[in-house]
Amino acid sequence: MKKFLKKLGNWYIVLPMLMVFMSPYQIIGQNKTNITGVVKSTEGNIPLAGVTILEKGTTNGTATDFDGIYTLSVPANATLVFSYVGFITKEISVNGQSTINIQMAEDLAQLDEIVVVGYGTQRKQNLTSAISVVKSEEIQKRQVTTLAESLQGLATGVNVRGGGRPGQEATIEIRGLKNLQSANPLYVIDGLITTANRDFNPNDIESIQILKDAAAAAIYGSRAANGVIIVTTKKGKKGPLKIEVSSNTSITELPRYDLAQTEEFAALNTMAYVNAGETPPNLQLENNTNWQEEMFRTGFIQNHNVSFSGGGDNSTFFVSANYFGNKGTVIDSEFNRTSFRINTSGKRGIFSVGENIALTFAEVDEYSGNPILDVVRMLPTIPVLNPNNPGGYGYGEQGVANTFGTNPVAINNLIDVRNNNFRIRGNFWAEINPISSLKYRLNVGYETSFDNRTELRKAGSWTLNQPIALPYYNENRARSQSKLIENTLSFDKEFGKHEVKLLVGQTYQSGDYAQINGSKTNISINSSTGEYFEVLDQAGDGVVGGFKNATTLISYLGRLEYQYDNRYLLNAVFRRDGSSRFDDLNKWGNFPSLSLGWRLSNESFFNVEAISDLKIRASYGELGSGNIGPYDYQGVINTFGGAVFGTNQTTYPSATQVSLANSTLRWERLIQKNIGVDLSLFDNAVNITAEYFVAKTEDVLFGTPILLSTGNDGGNPISNAATVENKGFELSLGYNKSWNEFKFNGSINVTTLSNELISLGTGLNEFFSGNTITTVGEPVGMWYVLQTDGLFQSDAEVQNYTSSDGTVIMPGAQPGDIRFKDINDDGQINNVDKEVVGSPWPDFTLGLNSSASYKGFEFSMNWIGSFGATVFNSYRSVVDRFDDDTNYRSGVQPWTPENPNTNFPRIVKSTTLNTRGDTDRWLENGDFIRLKYIGLGYNLNSNAVEKFGIDSVRFTLSAQNIITITDYQGLDPEFSGPNIFERGVDGFAFPNLKTYSFGVEFNF
Amino acid sequence: MKKIVLLLILPFIMQILVSCSEEELVQKNPNQLATEEFWVSENDAELGINSVYAMFYKAGLWTRWIYFRLDLTSDEGFSKSPWIELADWTRFNYINYNFFEGNGETWRDTYKAVFRCNQVLANVPNIEFTSQEKKNQILSQAKFFRALHYYYAAILWENIPLVLEPSSPNDIPEQRTQQEIFAQVEKDLTEAIIDLPVQWDADNKGRATKGAAYALLGKVYMQQHKWTEAKQALDWLVTGAGSSNYDLVANFQDNFRGDNENNLESVFEIQFADDPNRQGDQGEAAVASVSTQRSQFFAPRGIGWSDGQARYWLVDEFKKEANLDGGLDMRLRYSLIYDDMQADWGLLTYGRTWQWEDGEAWFRKYQRDYYRDSESNWSEVNNRLIRYADVLLMYAEVLNELDMTSDAYQYVNRVRARANMATLQSAYPAIGNDKTAFRDRLKMERVLELCGESGRWADLKRWGDLDNQASVNVIAQRDPDFNNFVVGKHHRLPIPQDEVQNNPNLDQHPEY
Repeated sequence: MKKFLKKLGNWYIVLPMLMVFMSPYQIIGQNKTNITGVVKSTEGNIPLAGVTILEKGTTNGTATDFDGIYTLSVPANATLVFSYVGFITKEISVNGQSTINIQMAEDLAQLDEIVVVGYGTQRKQNLTSAISVVKSEEIQKRQVTTLAESLQGLATGVNVRGGGRPGQEATIEIRGLKNLQSANPLYVIDGLITTANRDFNPNDIESIQILKDAAAAAIYGSRAANGVIIVTTKKGKKGPLKIEVSSNTSITELPRYDLAQTEEFAALNTMAYVNAGETPPNLQLENNTNWQEEMFRTGFIQNHNVSFSGGGDNSTFFVSANYFGNKGTVIDSEFNRTSFRINTSGKRGIFSVGENIALTFAEVDEYSGNPILDVVRMLPTIPVLNPNNPGGYGYGEQGVANTFGTNPVAINNLIDVRNNNFRIRGNFWAEINPISSLKYRLNVGYETSFDNRTELRKAGSWTLNQPIALPYYNENRARSQSKLIENTLSFDKEFGKHEVKLLVGQTYQSGDYAQINGSKTNISINSSTGEYFEVLDQAGDGVVGGFKNATTLISYLGRLEYQYDNRYLLNAVFRRDGSSRFDDLNKWGNFPSLSLGWRLSNESFFNVEAISDLKIRASYGELGSGNIGPYDYQGVINTFGGAVFGTNQTTYPSATQVSLANSTLRWERLIQKNIGVDLSLFDNAVNITAEYFVAKTEDVLFGTPILLSTGNDGGNPISNAATVENKGFELSLGYNKSWNEFKFNGSINVTTLSNELISLGTGLNEFFSGNTITTVGEPVGMWYVLQTDGLFQSDAEVQNYTSSDGTVIMPGAQPGDIRFKDINDDGQINNVDKEVVGSPWPDFTLGLNSSASYKGFEFSMNWIGSFGATVFNSYRSVVDRFDDDTNYRSGVQPWTPENPNTNFPRIVKSTTLNTRGDTDRWLENGDFIRLKYIGLGYNLNSNAVEKFGIDSVRFTLSAQNIITITDYQGLDPEFSGPNIFERGVDGFAFPNLKTYSFGVEFNF
Repeated sequence: MKKIVLLLILPFIMQILVSCSEEELVQKNPNQLATEEFWVSENDAELGINSVYAMFYKAGLWTRWIYFRLDLTSDEGFSKSPWIELADWTRFNYINYNFFEGNGETWRDTYKAVFRCNQVLANVPNIEFTSQEKKNQILSQAKFFRALHYYYAAILWENIPLVLEPSSPNDIPEQRTQQEIFAQVEKDLTEAIIDLPVQWDADNKGRATKGAAYALLGKVYMQQHKWTEAKQALDWLVTGAGSSNYDLVANFQDNFRGDNENNLESVFEIQFADDPNRQGDQGEAAVASVSTQRSQFFAPRGIGWSDGQARYWLVDEFKKEANLDGGLDMRLRYSLIYDDMQADWGLLTYGRTWQWEDGEAWFRKYQRDYYRDSESNWSEVNNRLIRYADVLLMYAEVLNELDMTSDAYQYVNRVRARANMATLQSAYPAIGNDKTAFRDRLKMERVLELCGESGRWADLKRWGDLDNQASVNVIAQRDPDFNNFVVGKHHRLPIPQDEVQNNPNLDQHPEY
C-alpha cells in the first residue's frame, strides 16, 4: 500500500494544457429577463435533472437542477433550446414570458443516446467508430452465469461461445480472429480494467458498450486489440426508495447421444472381432448400463436478486444482493454465487465523489474427467459397481471389456475438486468541475480475490490398468490483486457551431498474484466418520509449493473530439503504454487512432423525405496486445530435476533449461480500417448500420507449436508468430413500429468475416497442426486431410484400384474398406496425398432478434445461425472406430457382404486403416440455426397490485437453446475448438444446455 | 472571483496526480532463475550435467517407450495390447506418423536430451573451475550422452537433424545421413574418452566412464562394419588397460535385479530408484519419477499391463542345448516368464500358478517377481544398458569379421561358461573357422545371453537381416509381425509428420 501511495505525486504535463482551456469565455448580456421553469418528462411527468437549456445561437445556458427547475437570463426575443440525452430536443420562443414549463418527449430512436466510450461519454449520433450498445433488459432476460454469455446474438460482430458447465466461463470474440493467443476482449467495469469472471453478477449491469473497431478501442491502447467491453453498473436515481425483487428458477437439460444398448453393442462388437479373425471378448451381457443416465441429470438454477436504490438532491445509492445457484447437469457439479454491491455518489458544489464496490463469494464443485467423452467410451456391458476392483467401481477388463475408458461415476466419487473465491472489486472516484467546461477526475480502482482450491483423491480405480494410487489431499490458496490509478482531465465546450472535447490522462495499473499449495499423500481416515481428513495437518507425506508474479502497466492517453454544426465529426486518440511483460527494448508502444464522420442528413442540400438520419464515417487505428505471461520473454532454469547416483542409489538434484523462450517479444499490433454508414429511414422506424473493416494483426503473440527437434518441453514458447488479416462486413437492420398499444421491434444482423495469413514469424510459408494447414495467403487452420472415395465392394475393385503406372494402391484392403484418393498418383496412400478440403470458418453468421408487446404482454426471441463452416466430429471419430472398443452409435449399419450399399466401412478390430483420424470421413457441415432465446413476459397492471403497495409485477417464462436446426451429428454445433489452428475440432466440448426458466419480478 | 478559486484549487489537484516511476516496469521473475543467471558456478555445471542423466527417466526414452521400439519391434517381442495403435507400432503398421507414444515422444525426448547436452557443452567452458579435471569430466559426460542419444536415434530413424548448439524456438535444423550422425557420435565419443574416468567413487557410481565410451564407440563402429576401428575401441575393455575393471558376475541374474547393481559386469548402467518423494509422472515437476516403468508394461496380464511380451521361439531356442550337467540353460530361467516355468524350474509367476495361455511368454529380465507379487509404476531396477557379456560377444563378432575366428572363440566361451554351457567348439564342432557359420551361431549366442536387453534391433540391422526378403522371411517364421515388414521401408521409422511438415530442411523418408 505504501508503494501505492507513493504513486501520488506531481504531474506537470497537464498543467500547461490546462491553462490554454482556462481562457475566459463569457458573454455579458444586456436587456435580459430572468426565465424560470420546470422541465418534466411527457411520460410520467417526472422532473428531469440536468437538462441543458441554451439561448439559441449563443453559449449562454444553464441546466435544470434535481427538481427539473432552471433559471436563465435571456433577451425577451430569444429562443430557448432544451436538450437532454435520450429526449427529443425542443425549441421554445421566449416571447416575453417569464415562466416556461415544458414537457420533453423521449426520443424512441435514441439517436441521442449516451454511449460510454472509455474515460468519457459520447452521444451516439456523434460516434465515428463502431460501438454496439446492449441494454440491461436484454441481458437480464436470460439465465446466464457470466455476462459474456448474455451477449450472444445481441450485437453484430460479437461471437460468444458459451458453455453449460456450472461456473464455466464463456469465450467471446469481437470481429473474429485477431489475436491467436486469446480472443477474449478487455473488460472495463465502472472504469476498472478487469475481467468479467463468473463471480460478477450480471444483474447489476446497467448497460454494456462494445468497442469494436480500433478507433473506438484505441483509448485502451495495448490491451484493446480484441475489442473492449465497457460495463456500467446500475446507479441510484433521485426519488423515493425503489425496491426491485426478482427471482428466477430454471431447469436445464443436457443434450444426449443416441448410443447402443447391450444387445446392439454386443452384436457390433462381436462383428468387429470376428472380422479381424480375433476371439470376441467375453462380454458381460447381463449388464446394460446407460452411462448417460448414470452421469447426467436435470440441472437446476435459481437466481434471486434484490436491489434498493434511490437518491436525494446531491447523492444517490444503489444496493443489491444476489444469489445464484446452479446444480449441474452432470453429477457432482455445482456452482453457487453470492454477491453484494453498493454504488453511491455525492455532489457538493464543484466536487463530486462516488464509489462502486462489489463483494462476491463464488464456489464451484467441479466434476472430474470429461463425462461428455467418458459416457461414450464406457461399454454398456460394464456395471457401474464391481466389488472386485479397488474402490468398488466397474471398468474395463482385458478379455471381458477391452476399454481403457474412465468410469465417470467412479472418478467423480473418488475425486472431489472444489474451487471457491472471494472477490472484492471496486473503485472510488472524485471529480472536480472548476468550471462547467473542465473536469478533473481521479479514479482509484482496487480488486482482490482470495482463491481456494481443494482436491481430495480417495483410494480406488476408475480405469483398466490404473496404477494403484495412494489417497491424497491437495489444497491451494492464492491471492490476486490489481491496483489502478487514473488521472484524467477533460474539457468540453461549444464555440458557436464548433464543439470541442479534449481528454488527457495518465494511468498506472499493477497486478500481482501469489499462490501456495500443499499436498498430503497417504492421508488418514477419521475413524469416527469413516471419511478422509480433508486437512493438511494430519498424517501423510507432504509436499508444498507456490509461486508469485507481478506486472505493471503505465500509460499516457489523450483524445480530441471535434464536431462542427452536427455535420462534421472528428475523433483522434493517442495512447502510449509501457508494460513489464516485455524486455527493456520492447516495453513501450504507441497506439494512435483517427476517425471521421460526416452527417449528410444535416447538410442543407440534403433533403430526402424518407431519410431521417444519414451518417458516413471512416476510421483508422492501431491497437496493441501484450496479453502474455508476466515473464514469458525470459528463459528460465528448471531446478526440479533429479538423477540417481551411487551405490546407495541417492537422488541428486539437477537443473537445466527445459522450456525455450523468445527474448525479443514485441507488442502485438492491430491496424484496423473501418468504413461505416448509419442510416435511419421513415422517422427512425428503420435503422440500418453497415460496416466494412480490414483488420491486420501484426506480430501476433502466440505459443505456436515449435519443432520437437528443438528439444523444447513444457509448452510452446510465446512468439510473435504471425501476421493475420481479417476482412469483414457487418450489416444490421432494425425495424421499430407501434400501432397503438402494439409495439414491434425486429432486427437482423449479418456478419461475414474472412481471415488470411499474411506471414509467419518463423519466416516459413506454412504451418501444420493436427489435421490443419495454415498457409500464407490462405485462412488459418484449413482442413488438410486424406479424401475418402467410397468403399471397395470386392477384391477385384481392390486389385483394379491402381495408379497410372499400374501399382495397386491399397493392396492390403478388403471389401468393405475405405478407398482413399491417391492424390499424387504414386501408388500408395500416405501423408503427401493430403489436400485442403474445407474451411473451419463460417461464411457468415446471423443474428435475429424480435420483440413485440401488447398491453401487459411482451414477447421476444433471438435466433443465431452460422453457415459455411466445416467441422471435425471427434465423437464420431471415436464411436465409429471399432479398432478400439467404445460404445457405438445406435443404428449404425456397417458394410457387410449382405449390406454393401452403405458408406459405413466394414468394422474390424485389428486395424486403424478405416479409422485413421486424418481423413475427411470425420468432417461435417457445421451449419446451424438455433433458437437461442424465447421469452414471454406479462406485466401486471399497476392498479391491480397497488393496494399491496407494489408498483408493478412482471412474470416471465423463457427457454433457451430449445430448437436447433442442423445436420451436424455431434452433440452441439455451437462449440469451441481447442485452439485457433484447430478451430473446428469438436473435441467433446461441454454442450449448450436446454434451459427453461420462470421468473417473477416485483417493483416497490 | 471564480477564476481565483480555481487557480487556488488547481495546484492542490496537481499534487495528488500520479507521477510514475518507469523503473516499475522492470519486474524480475521471483520464481525461477533466468537462463542468463545460470551457468556461472561449478555447482551450476554439476546440476546441468545431472539433468542429462535425468533424461533416462522420460517416457519417450528409457522409462517406457523405447523398449517398444527396440525390444517389441524386433523378433524377440511383440504386443497384444488392446490399444491397437500402440500394438500396431510394434508390427510395422505405421499409419499416423505423429503417434506420440509410438514415435513423437521418443523423438522429442531424444532432442530434449541433446538440448541438455548442448547447454552443458556451450556454457560450461565459460565457467571457472578450481579443478580443470572436474570441468573436463563434466564436458566429457555431456559428449558421451549426446553420442548415446544420437546413436539410438540413428538406429531408429537413420537420417535425422543434427543439433549441436543450444536450441532457439525457430530453429529448423538440417537433416543429416545416418553416416553423418554416426560420424558425430564417433567424434563425441573419441573426445569423451580422453577425460572420462575409469572408475567413479562410490557416490558417483552410474556416471559415464571411459569404458562405457569405448564400448559405445565399438557399437557405433560395428553398425558401420568398421571392424578394425571397432576392435581398437573394444581392445581397451577386453585385452587392454581397462580389462582389469570388468568381469562377468558369477550369477547371471545379478544383471537384472535391484540388488547387486553397478557390479563388475556393468559397463554402463541406467540408474533407477523408487524414491518416495518422486512418484509423479515423467515430466519436469519436483515429484517427477526417477524409476522405470518397463516392468509394469512388460509384466503378464493381471500383474502389470502386459503391453509387451516375448515370442515363444526364445523358449525353444534355450531348450535346444543342454548345459554341462544335462539340464536346461539356466539363462532361460532368468530371461523369460513362460508356461512351463513351474514344470521346468518349480517356479511360480509372481507367486501365481500359470493362468495365461499355453505358448505365451514374457520377458523376466528387470521384472521384480523375485520379491513382489505385482508390478508398479516405480521400478528401481537399473538397466544394464551395456554389460561386459555384450562387450565380449561384440569383441568375438569383430574378431570373426576380421578373419580372426579362432581368436574369437574364447570370448564366446567365457560367456557360455558362466551359464555352465560347454565350449562352443565342443557344442558346435562343425563351425570350425567358417566365418559365416561362426557368425550365424554368434547371432544365437547373443539372443540367449542378451534377449530382452534392447540390443536385438541394432543387431538385425547390423547383420543385414532386414535388407532382403529371404532373411526377413526367416525372421517372420519366428515373429509373424514381420509378415508386415516391407524391405527397404520398415528398417527405419517414419519421421514424425509434424516435424517434416514444419521443417523445410527435413524430408520424410521417401518410402513413407
